[in-house]
Amino acid sequence: MSVLRPLDKLPGLNTATVLLVGADDALLQRLADSMLKTDCASELRVHLARSLPLPSNVNRPRVDLLVFVINLHSKYSLQSVEKSLHHVDASFFLGKACFLATGAGRENLCSVHRNTIVRLARTYRSPVLFCDLEVEGSRAAMAQRLARMLQISAGHVPGVSAMSLLSLLRSSESPSLEDL
Amino acid sequence: MESQPEKRAAAEPADSGGEGGAGGLPQVAGGRSEDRVTLLLRLRAQIKQQLVEYKSMVDANEEKTPEQIMQENQIEDKIEELENEIEEVKIAYEMKSIALNSEFMDNMKQILKLNKLIIRSQKESRSLERKRLEIRKKRLDLKKASESKLLEIQTEKNKQKEDLDSMENSDKIKTIRQNLQMEINVTTVIQHVFQNLILGSKTNWAEDSALKEIVLQLEKNLTRI
Repeated sequence: MSVLRPLDKLPGLNTATVLLVGADDALLQRLADSMLKTDCASELRVHLARSLPLPSNVNRPRVDLLVFVINLHSKYSLQSVEKSLHHVDASFFLGKACFLATGAGRENLCSVHRNTIVRLARTYRSPVLFCDLEVEGSRAAMAQRLARMLQISAGHVPGVSAMSLLSLLRSSESPSLEDL
Repeated sequence: MESQPEKRAAAEPADSGGEGGAGGLPQVAGGRSEDRVTLLLRLRAQIKQQLVEYKSMVDANEEKTPEQIMQENQIEDKIEELENEIEEVKIAYEMKSIALNSEFMDNMKQILKLNKLIIRSQKESRSLERKRLEIRKKRLDLKKASESKLLEIQTEKNKQKEDLDSMENSDKIKTIRQNLQMEINVTTVIQHVFQNLILGSKTNWAEDSALKEIVLQLEKNLTRI
């Protein structure tokens, strides 16, 4: 399959799968480790990919949450994510996808402006999260946040759906100020 | 597009009594029945939620998608409109659920009523307490006043007694008493002298009534005054 669809497979019992897409392997691996260390009642599965589409020969569970990891220090990561976005079904962006931008703290190394990411996220109506994956504390906090989001998108939290989370995470946008 | 190799990270369940496995139900081998029941309840909630998700997707796909080609900013506006609709529906739902929580509201009203009652009763009890305090104060004052009055009476009595005593012990009385005693002594001596005169004269005083009267009178002891 060339397009990743959110609800094409049946969910695994008590299992939630997150797919981290990003060009930087080391960062993804570290984030994956932090996520697996979080205390979660459901079974977490973390899949890593450098870009989409994924090879179709592998039998994998349905993806509950899609996280696009963009390193602000490299333009290549932004480009690869943008290319991968074409292979994602539109229904993913109803709360099952989010953007994660890392490295915004060190301005001198940033080759991608954070506004680019913000605008990208706004185009896809998805939340964007900022953190520094190199720092242990920030990474652990982000991993916990992602674990919680994953639980909600997988349907493990009664009463909260992915879309309601999406509307909660929607930041008060003032496009006129942003465009200044 | 080039397909990139995909890596899979190991999964780690944090369930108590659960073992890692290739998907599927974590085994609760030897786990207590309460853990099992909790797990089953959680799974039930999960499956319910997932079912709701799938149902809503099916319902959404049944709607006809608009076929006309819209411009980009029109699409943006349409999307925003739909998002606002979602928000409004959410808010309406929450308001309804609050209103439907009538039992909760009743309990709250009851609590408020009881609180008012409590406050009123407390006020009343406080004012009664104050009155009681005042009455006790008055009683105490009256007691003190009566005490002082009694004390006064006592001192007056003592004073009178003292005056009396002092009067008795004064020198005037002493001299008067002495004089009196002397007179009594003198009179007694004169009495005895007369007595002995009459007895010594060896007359029969019993025959003469006048002499008899005198002798009998002399027998009166003057100290009896």
